[in-house]
Amino acid sequence: MSTGQARSAAQEPPPTVLQRLLDEVITPGLCVACGTCLGLCPHLVFFDGQVAAPDACDLEQGRCYDLCPQVAGAGQGPREHEGVLGPVRAIHWARATAGELDGRVQYGGVVSALAALALEEGLVGEAVLTAAGARGAPAGVRVSDREGVLAAAGSIYAAAGTLRELNQALAEAADHSLLVVGLPCQARGAAKMAGHPDYPAAGRRLGMVIGLFCTMNLSARGLRAVLAEAGVEPPVLRADFPPPPAGVFQVTTAAGLSEIPLEKVYDAVLPGCKTCGDLTAETADLSVGAAEGEAGLNTVIVRTARGQELLERAVAAGVLELRRPAAASLEHLKEAAAGKRARAAAGEVDHG
Amino acid sequence: MADISGLTPGRTVLMQGNEAIARGALEAGVSFAAAYPGNPSSEILQTLADSAEGAGIYAEWSTNEKVALEAAAAASYCGLRAMASMKQNGVNVAQDFICNLTISGSGPGGLVLVTCDDPGAISSTNEEDARFIAKLADLPLLEPSTPAEALAMMKFAFDLSEDIENLVVVRAISRLSHTRSGVVPGELAVGRPRPAWDPKRVITTIPAVPRHQVMKDKLAEAGGLMAAGPFNSYGGPDNPELLIIASGSSVLYAAEAIDILGVGRRVGLLKLGCTWPLDEKLLRKHLAATERVLFAEEVDPFIEDHVKSLYAQHAPELGIKRFYGKASGHTPAIGELSPGRLAAAVSEVLELGHQAVDPGYLERAVQSAGAMAAPREVGFCPGCPHRASYWAMKQVLAVDGRAGLVSGDIGCYTMGVLSTGFNRVNSVHCMGSGLGISSGLGKLGRFGFDQPVISVVGDSTFFHAALPGIVNARWNQADYLLVVLDNSATAMTGFQPHPGTGQLASGQAGAQVDIEQVCRSLGLDCRVADPYDLAATSDALYDALQQKGLRVLILRRVCALVQGRSGGHPYRMEIDPELCRGDACGCHRFCSRVFKCPGLVFDQALGQAVIDEVTCVGCGVCAQICPAGAIKALAKDQEAAA
Repeated sequence: MSTGQARSAAQEPPPTVLQRLLDEVITPGLCVACGTCLGLCPHLVFFDGQVAAPDACDLEQGRCYDLCPQVAGAGQGPREHEGVLGPVRAIHWARATAGELDGRVQYGGVVSALAALALEEGLVGEAVLTAAGARGAPAGVRVSDREGVLAAAGSIYAAAGTLRELNQALAEAADHSLLVVGLPCQARGAAKMAGHPDYPAAGRRLGMVIGLFCTMNLSARGLRAVLAEAGVEPPVLRADFPPPPAGVFQVTTAAGLSEIPLEKVYDAVLPGCKTCGDLTAETADLSVGAAEGEAGLNTVIVRTARGQELLERAVAAGVLELRRPAAASLEHLKEAAAGKRARAAAGEVDHG
Repeated sequence: MADISGLTPGRTVLMQGNEAIARGALEAGVSFAAAYPGNPSSEILQTLADSAEGAGIYAEWSTNEKVALEAAAAASYCGLRAMASMKQNGVNVAQDFICNLTISGSGPGGLVLVTCDDPGAISSTNEEDARFIAKLADLPLLEPSTPAEALAMMKFAFDLSEDIENLVVVRAISRLSHTRSGVVPGELAVGRPRPAWDPKRVITTIPAVPRHQVMKDKLAEAGGLMAAGPFNSYGGPDNPELLIIASGSSVLYAAEAIDILGVGRRVGLLKLGCTWPLDEKLLRKHLAATERVLFAEEVDPFIEDHVKSLYAQHAPELGIKRFYGKASGHTPAIGELSPGRLAAAVSEVLELGHQAVDPGYLERAVQSAGAMAAPREVGFCPGCPHRASYWAMKQVLAVDGRAGLVSGDIGCYTMGVLSTGFNRVNSVHCMGSGLGISSGLGKLGRFGFDQPVISVVGDSTFFHAALPGIVNARWNQADYLLVVLDNSATAMTGFQPHPGTGQLASGQAGAQVDIEQVCRSLGLDCRVADPYDLAATSDALYDALQQKGLRVLILRRVCALVQGRSGGHPYRMEIDPELCRGDACGCHRFCSRVFKCPGLVFDQALGQAVIDEVTCVGCGVCAQICPAGAIKALAKDQEAAA
């Protein structure tokens, strides 16, 4: 039944756009706090990793619903025609050459190096990244120089609402291009923003999306409970789900590296992650993740022309070194991506 | 209030009912007056406090009504005339003491309790009829109809109390307390005894049963003295077709109804100023002279039921009567009476066909109101810190996501149940009861209850009735977050001071009692935040909500009206038309539609939000909720310097 039919049948006003977002995403627990809906209006608030709507909105249409990557609909399902890794122009292994990134970044430091270069070379005026926020819950940050990028280096693995900062940057009267680094859900949200007819600023200014490989994410409160139970004292400096068969969640804090068995982490996994079949951020310009078996390297998937241009500039500037990825590693990545698609279709999360 | 100690005796002045009650007490030689504020009673004590120096009396705001009456009783025991005033709810608070005091009796100094009831619950959470305390505790009850009579009755009440050595109750209602009419003051009493308590004298209820008989005897004696007094009277034909028996303001309504209908020769009006014990001899005489009786009283059928009971006892000699009133449906069982309603009742009984109100009037009135009056409900004042507090609570409970509850209490913040408080309060009953409710909710975890609970209480209520609930929760380890909405005033009733402010009824400084120290002395974790800082308040609320056990967050910011009287607020608010998104705002008029401070208006012609400069006080809070950053808080002192 269409919305119009439902309305005439019940003789009731149509549900507001916010109510639809609540009914379809937030109330059923499918929100992954990507932040796509945040910062557009004051009704949707973000606090300690949670998105909520304290008040009733009275609009029938709105971007909060249109942009949400968790709303079921076009572009949500696996795009089989593009292969299990999505659109691919090239796949590399890479590492950043700058020594200052050592120890602060995930794997090869490629994301930080690319973001810093894009800012330094003026390709973008600002970058929207994720950094530790209040209560150890990560939150979006806007940075405009290399120092800002380095301060946000490393990933924390909890819902961060990062795209709120992107929306806020786009709401300002400015023309500079923006780069965003995000999870597959956030890359999807960014893609919807750039293509939305009522969001011309996003189409004009969203210059680069760097996606991160993601198997699943945790709620901020869930992560805090996991750490408390494991006796790990926050703040978390870095965190990771290393590829199978590791079977652990790795957390680096001031006290060093802790490994928490995956089964202790499952309760903290965002239920919304179960619907996501995207391991490699298929809608990004560049997607970056671990290089299996190579601790100091990243896998980089080049998806668009502008992604390729940024990568080439980074190599030309000597910021990145590329290598040919091992064929077996790529096969494992494809298996993992196919597995996530299959689990999403079946409504399961990766239990190792 | 005004100092009424210097009024010229014999010279008519326009006086509020509550002022007349206070003047009557002064003329009776009251020395000691205590009260807890509550509409419609508050002006009595404040008038006495403002007249205290001139009249040489002592007047205090007490922490609650029970304490007020106990303190007044002490003065009575020592030979001084004393009184306590309160609203109907306060009588409940004092009831335990009243029901024991009536057995032990008052002292050589007259002791009077004034209850100001609120038919129609104009400024109350109920419309309870406090006259029943007189029957419950076998106390004489007087009901004045006019300010002048209130003055006279107060003097009579003190005399009566001394005659029978028991408490006397004077009952006013909102329409008397807050009406103004001409009053002729008399002379102030001169001289008072030096208070003393003979150490051999024991004042107690024990042995209770024999003393119960003493109490009954006192009431019977009071009945005789009251019957001989001037407050019951009859006007009308010797054998009326209909007898109206009325008390309080209903006496005036009845007189007006008789006048409207032109039935003065057919209808008699028996005015009862002394309504407990009822003058049975007088009533029997008038019952014998008529066949039909209509009762006019507010709120409950207090006189009606007792007259019917009396009639049942004497029916054989009185013959058949018809009674009209609340039981028959001729007068409303709830809400206020009015001349129109009473005229309609008389018309129905006498089959006059009179319509006090044109049948189409109500519909036309609603239409006119709809066209001419802006739709609005009771709400927080501009700049009220409670609006900011509830805003933060609403946001935090939403993101907390565990279906949290807010247990409310009595004060301005009771309005948290309305849209001005974002309908965030889940229950409200009486002073301090929110803490008890929370105490219970806080022990339901063992049964699987997993909703977090916030209990809100005001600073004055904290001292009035919250402490036992807090101690209970601490003792029994109940799990809830106590949020003290500290606006440094008993704001709802007119900004009276309380222990937290340290100021006395006289305006002089007393000893301040610090809520934070009280909580910490109970071993409670206690934080303080400023509700005007929404982000910091939300952080503090959220973090406190995640904790377990009883914990306290004080949201402290002085009442906006008090601040307005003492220097004002720091900002001049302005909306940048370049930034305000108007109807195009994704929020859709968020500031004026959702936040709804009266200082924010949506200008239909401009298509944008504007500041109502007359209403806005400049608290600066709305600048924190505008998604476009269009609302600016400009510091007044910097503007002045520029």
